[in-house]
Amino acid sequence: MSNGRLHPRLSPSARWRLLLLPYALGVIVLVIVPAAFSFALAFFHYDALSPPVWAGTLNFVLAYTDELFLLSIRHSLALILIPVPLRVAGAFLLARLMQRNGRFLNWFRTAVYLPSVVPGAAFALAWLWILNPLYGPLNLLLSALGFAPPAWLVDPDWARPALALMALWQIGEGFIVSLAALYDMPAELEDAARIDGAGSWATLRSIVLPLIAPILLLLTFRDVIFTFQESFTQIYLLTQGGPYYATYTMPLFIYEQGFDLQAFGVASAAMWVMYAITGLIVVALVVIARQWNIGTTEETFVL
Amino acid sequence: MSFKAGSRALLRLLAALLFLLPLLWMASASLNAPGDPLPTSLRLLPPHPTLANYGRIFRLLPLGRYTLNSLLVVALAVPITLVVSSWAGLGMARLPKPAQRRWITLSLAVLMVPGIALWSTRFLLYRELGWYDTVWALIAPAWMGTSPFYVLMFYRAFRRIPAAIYDAAHLDGAGVLQTWWLVALPMARMTAVAVALLTFVFYWGDFTSPLLYLRSGEHATLPVALQTLQQLSRSDWALVLAAAVWTTLVPVALFLLLPLLFNRRQKRSVS
Repeated sequence: MSNGRLHPRLSPSARWRLLLLPYALGVIVLVIVPAAFSFALAFFHYDALSPPVWAGTLNFVLAYTDELFLLSIRHSLALILIPVPLRVAGAFLLARLMQRNGRFLNWFRTAVYLPSVVPGAAFALAWLWILNPLYGPLNLLLSALGFAPPAWLVDPDWARPALALMALWQIGEGFIVSLAALYDMPAELEDAARIDGAGSWATLRSIVLPLIAPILLLLTFRDVIFTFQESFTQIYLLTQGGPYYATYTMPLFIYEQGFDLQAFGVASAAMWVMYAITGLIVVALVVIARQWNIGTTEETFVL
Repeated sequence: MSFKAGSRALLRLLAALLFLLPLLWMASASLNAPGDPLPTSLRLLPPHPTLANYGRIFRLLPLGRYTLNSLLVVALAVPITLVVSSWAGLGMARLPKPAQRRWITLSLAVLMVPGIALWSTRFLLYRELGWYDTVWALIAPAWMGTSPFYVLMFYRAFRRIPAAIYDAAHLDGAGVLQTWWLVALPMARMTAVAVALLTFVFYWGDFTSPLLYLRSGEHATLPVALQTLQQLSRSDWALVLAAAVWTTLVPVALFLLLPLLFNRRQKRSVS
């Protein structure tokens, strides 16, 4: 292993900076430059065959006047507003439930994480089977319990709830990150609160949550963005946006405009809108967090 | 055992079973004998459980090759991601405060870029670099630490280490890389394990990259095989689910072995 003394001319702080070099280069080459190109295309007419032609704001007008575009925004937001808080809260509460030692604790943790290691395509196919209206085990279970089961992915009213439901099984990332954050938290703090007579709810609210809040906020950011994108693989394999456009979301609109219709300009204009919406959600989260004084203390690294 | 501890144990068990249920259903349906009817009432196992479908998928597709391709992808992507993201995290943690904030803002902005915004331009980029239709197109994000999220996780872990420890390492003559490997990384072991796991799962299950950046089947990974199989035999549920189980097997086996590994290490460090 070589070390920093190979560069005797560099000051210590400059040598620490060098560690950031691969990351900085990677981000520029793989994200910033491609994203800049993609976003610039919004102002051009481009079909990948002939060179781009300046189009002004025409692409935005085309997107805005497309009924399916507004529909896709509504559906994308619906898939975030309720499912994401549920997922983050679920991941955190499960991590809390499985924080301290007990019998078989590692096995229980593994069980909660396990559905999240299932590759997206395999997970989608498994749920296509589970949610099958006639033979799927979920509906057989519901019938056995005396419920009249819905048709899930083939019923326009139930397709989105079905997607949200299956997403609840893949919260392992939030679970592991919450667990790691709880693990890093000094145990003496909680013990001291307990000795002072604080109940488990009071400890959770006044000791644990303020310390973990920045992580939960980061998880929420992550999940909002993830749901925007990751919903693509699932929806692409499960419903292709149907039935009757019930699961037609923004990534699907962008994919169809770009890769099916070769209208890369319109796709790119839709990306702008998607990016702006993501930005608005993140800003809203930051404002709420500031109001509640979450993540604005010494512990913060998010804000 | 107190009542509270007992009810907590029960809750844990119920949560664990609930999360295993979809996997059990998937595995059980994959055992349905070819030609046997689909179930009309709830059952734990098909009437004539068989592994025949697993043989059928290997005859239908070159699944062994796909499996090796998937293994190669994670074998390359996970170590590269760990090095790049932990370097960046450490570099960020050692910067002055205002500079740290700038890097955090940059990382969050990058995190917010929708992946779909990069599909077509990355395609052009990989073609220029000669990465199109090679394994390098599948692992390319590893060169930026896969996700700024992992960089931030390392940053957070390294920032908790007191500056005095870095200074002591410096006084002892340790260079930057030695401090990273011998001092910082061992103290952020949990974070490193978490990032390694998340990275493994990401690349093993990546569906879009092979779809967009591969043309020949030469480097195709398991998720591609799943899609092909679903198109080939949409209504043969047992067959499709057998392939899904096979694709799930390696990450699941890894995660089932992990608690054992941790237990052993804990026992060793106690004794």
